[in-house]
Amino acid sequence: MPFQFLVPAFLLGLAALAIPILIHLTRRQRAKVVEFPSLMFLERVPFRAESKRRIHHWLLLLLRALAVALVVAAFARPFFTNPAVAAGAGPGPREIVVLLDRSYSMSIGDRWDRALEAARETFQGLGPLDRASLAVFGRNAGVLVRSTSDRERLLSAVDTLQVSDESTSYGPGLKLAQTILEETDLPAGELVLVGDFQRAGWTGDEGVRLPAGTVVTPVVLGGEVPENRAVARVTLPRQRLEDRDRVTPAARLTRVGGEEEDSAEVVLELEGREVQRQRVALSANGATGVIFEPFNLSQDFTQGAVRFSETDALGPDDVQYFVLSPGRNISVLVLDDAARGAASSLFLRRALEISEDNIFDVDLRTGGGLTQADLDDVSVVVVNDRSVPAGNSGTALRSFVQEGGGLLVVTGERVRWPGELAELLPGGLTEPADRSPGRVGRLGFLDYDHPIFEIFRGPRSGDFTGARFFRSRDVQGIDPEFGSVLARFDDGTVALAEKQVGEGRVLLWTSTLDAFWNDLAQQPVFLPFIHQMVRYASGRTETVEAFTAGQVLDVSDATAMATAGLGEVAEALAGLEERVAFTPSGGTKALPPGDGPQFLNLDEQGIYDIRNPGDSDMRPLSVAVNVDLAEADLNPLDVEEVVASIASRMGDESAPRLESARASRLRLEDQERRQSLWRFLLLIAFVLLGLETVISNRISRAGGRRGSHAGA
Amino acid sequence: MRALSSRGSSGAQLLLPEVLARIDNLDLLARTVVEGFLNGLHRSIYLGLSLDFAEHRPYMPGDDIRRIDWRLYGRTDRHYIKLFEAETNANFVVLLDVSRSMSYGTHSVTKLEYAKYLAACLTYFSRHQRDRVGLITLDQDVVDYIPASARNLDLCLHTLHRAEATRAGDLRKPLLKATESLQRKGILVLISDFYQDPDEVMDAVRLLQSPGHDVIVFHVLDPSELEFPFEGPSNFRDMETGEEIPLVPVKVKEGYQGLLSDHREELKERFTAAEVDYTFLDTSKPLDHALFHLLLHREKRSRVR
Repeated sequence: MPFQFLVPAFLLGLAALAIPILIHLTRRQRAKVVEFPSLMFLERVPFRAESKRRIHHWLLLLLRALAVALVVAAFARPFFTNPAVAAGAGPGPREIVVLLDRSYSMSIGDRWDRALEAARETFQGLGPLDRASLAVFGRNAGVLVRSTSDRERLLSAVDTLQVSDESTSYGPGLKLAQTILEETDLPAGELVLVGDFQRAGWTGDEGVRLPAGTVVTPVVLGGEVPENRAVARVTLPRQRLEDRDRVTPAARLTRVGGEEEDSAEVVLELEGREVQRQRVALSANGATGVIFEPFNLSQDFTQGAVRFSETDALGPDDVQYFVLSPGRNISVLVLDDAARGAASSLFLRRALEISEDNIFDVDLRTGGGLTQADLDDVSVVVVNDRSVPAGNSGTALRSFVQEGGGLLVVTGERVRWPGELAELLPGGLTEPADRSPGRVGRLGFLDYDHPIFEIFRGPRSGDFTGARFFRSRDVQGIDPEFGSVLARFDDGTVALAEKQVGEGRVLLWTSTLDAFWNDLAQQPVFLPFIHQMVRYASGRTETVEAFTAGQVLDVSDATAMATAGLGEVAEALAGLEERVAFTPSGGTKALPPGDGPQFLNLDEQGIYDIRNPGDSDMRPLSVAVNVDLAEADLNPLDVEEVVASIASRMGDESAPRLESARASRLRLEDQERRQSLWRFLLLIAFVLLGLETVISNRISRAGGRRGSHAGA
Repeated sequence: MRALSSRGSSGAQLLLPEVLARIDNLDLLARTVVEGFLNGLHRSIYLGLSLDFAEHRPYMPGDDIRRIDWRLYGRTDRHYIKLFEAETNANFVVLLDVSRSMSYGTHSVTKLEYAKYLAACLTYFSRHQRDRVGLITLDQDVVDYIPASARNLDLCLHTLHRAEATRAGDLRKPLLKATESLQRKGILVLISDFYQDPDEVMDAVRLLQSPGHDVIVFHVLDPSELEFPFEGPSNFRDMETGEEIPLVPVKVKEGYQGLLSDHREELKERFTAAEVDYTFLDTSKPLDHALFHLLLHREKRSRVR
């Protein structure tokens, strides 16, 4: 086997071999100078010349020279070369990325244990120059240890890993691995992808392309797909009766796998206590629904859950958590023209009265002025085609809007807008215009990105094209800084415009909401459209009963808190000097007050409580977190598809990993590190030096007894 | 000599080199040594050397009446003056080697200091005997020359005091010059370490003898030169030439001592054959040895006369 030095330049140090010889020949002889009157007799002594030139202790000299030679050779890093590796056929040091799926489906059986074992085996097999990274992914991805050769650190990191409650999404994890592999300077890359390879986590367009030459090693832990039940969805419709919310929970239950019909018990829990239990029959690969008896929602942040009484192999999807707070109705004041009476707002009022949760409280005012007191508990004022009173009424209306109230202005032929309130409208109103005979107007443009029309974005989610418009006004001079157009007619004129005034919102509908100027009120979209407009104008944010694991809640963001059902208390929460979040698993996370975002990672399934740690009387602010049910779909993915998708194409040498010289150098270095012959050489050198010390001491002592220090 | 040493043992304490080294004044040193030495000697030896009776002559007016031999007057009833042999009044010149090698010393004094004490004592002693004293210091040439004179004792002692060993030595040239300068017969004392080939030494010394001088030679060496007590490998540097050679002393000691002994023996034989009084001195030994040797020499010389 050929022999080679990694740093042959160090062999120049062999010149140091002359050192012990010089020591022998000169150093000891020149220890001191003695002044003597005359050398005439000393010069005649024959022994002199002999003593100067003769080396007496060849063994010592040999030991010293050998020790020096071994030290020099150790610095030159010798190793036996493997011809195949030297020629570039070997892989050389590798950059290994272990990408571990820790979605909750990995908790099935012994998948997680096997995954950890696979990671450990990979790290145990690291070469001396190999570097490895440990990354995990679920819905998000993160690097726990990045590009290190510290095996103990990697193994320790593996020991700390736990299954998360997140779903699988391959994209972020593979992107992360791609970044690490692209940044490495090692000649070979390897991705060890450990997971159960669920199809649900793979979209096929992740857009990940690993660097050329990267070896992808999938470790598939899926195995047989077990039978799985899941609480697929919990709906919490509520009815408002006498200022009380009456909630009727309903759940959709699914069963994947199995062969025969099976029954299971489903439990409704409130505040941690079981309140109802129902037995349901679940057919194989089927679904069913269960409706619980209604309950009254009496206090804020009521925690609840619907779960199977017995969990199956995949436990996290057997339960759905929710947090409910009594809702506050949206109070709508409709101002009608006194001359026309209540008939003009009939369609409007009927639409607002019909809702699942009876959220709209409608009050009608025909004629008369407005006072501040009239608007105290009002969320939205609808000016339904009537003139707006000026003076005190106008001032009250302006104050109402600027302080956060909503104003919906419906412009028929009767509306007269006073100049002093012109600032409230998005622009100037034109006179009513009729459509040309034989041709009706239709809505030609809707801003589906706007919250009002967002729910109509999807197909079959509401058709505005059926509505015919015979007459309308137009709005001109809209200031783009404060106002925007949300809908236009097919002739380009404005149908719906918006303006932000102070804290409040103003919507301007340029036609009527009855059956005279259009037939929108007779279209199916009328009711949700009215609801959306009034909800939007009220500024009320849609609350969610639960988040999905992996989402992040910005506690300092009022909108986000409002979405979480915490809007009412977000402000009070911000005022607390100290806040702490208790995770479902019992952990805590401090949320220090102050400016800037304060993110709370909702990683775990269950209920998060946020409270002032010193205030035991305070009812905690709760957030429910559920797992993503997409993860409950355990159907496997074709591993080859993943590998083929992310691996570089054959022959793709456009961006070689490393120039060949450096790669070759690293390969040789890798061989040397694996053999580490220098350690043995140094050890032998030290032994020789110790031996030399012992021998020279003995010689010195022997010389001393003879009254001499005879040099070597 | 052994008997002499034992007799003078009390006074000889003052002659130890380490004691003398504490006396900075050479005059005082020489006086102390010589007086102490003489006090310890047997009186007969002292008188016999300096006041020998010569003859009688008739008293003449003007003679010192203290010199009348009254005993003879009693027998002959005539006045005779007692005449003694006159004082020697010889020239006594010390030739002191001040070559660089003389500055070597591992005992209490260097060879040069020892030689200075010796020269001072000899000079003082000779002056005490009414000799004319002179001094020549030499290395490879004559360094200082003080002609022999009855008045030059102080000058000699002063010159000795400031003599320094600075250059390499070679006896032939300075001794040739000395011979040319010393016309009147006298006693010449040559003090050196004689690191020179015996043939060259004899050639030089014969130059001194040729005019008829009595030559006394003192060979001065340090104990370390004799015993060679060095240990451990060292570089030995020649004090005169600066040449350096690495040596393991224990390996060369025996050979060195043999060569040095041979050298001394050869010098002794050659000097004896040439009728030159040769005395070897170890700088660790007292000075009385040298002084006694000088006395013996003078006595021998007076007897011959």
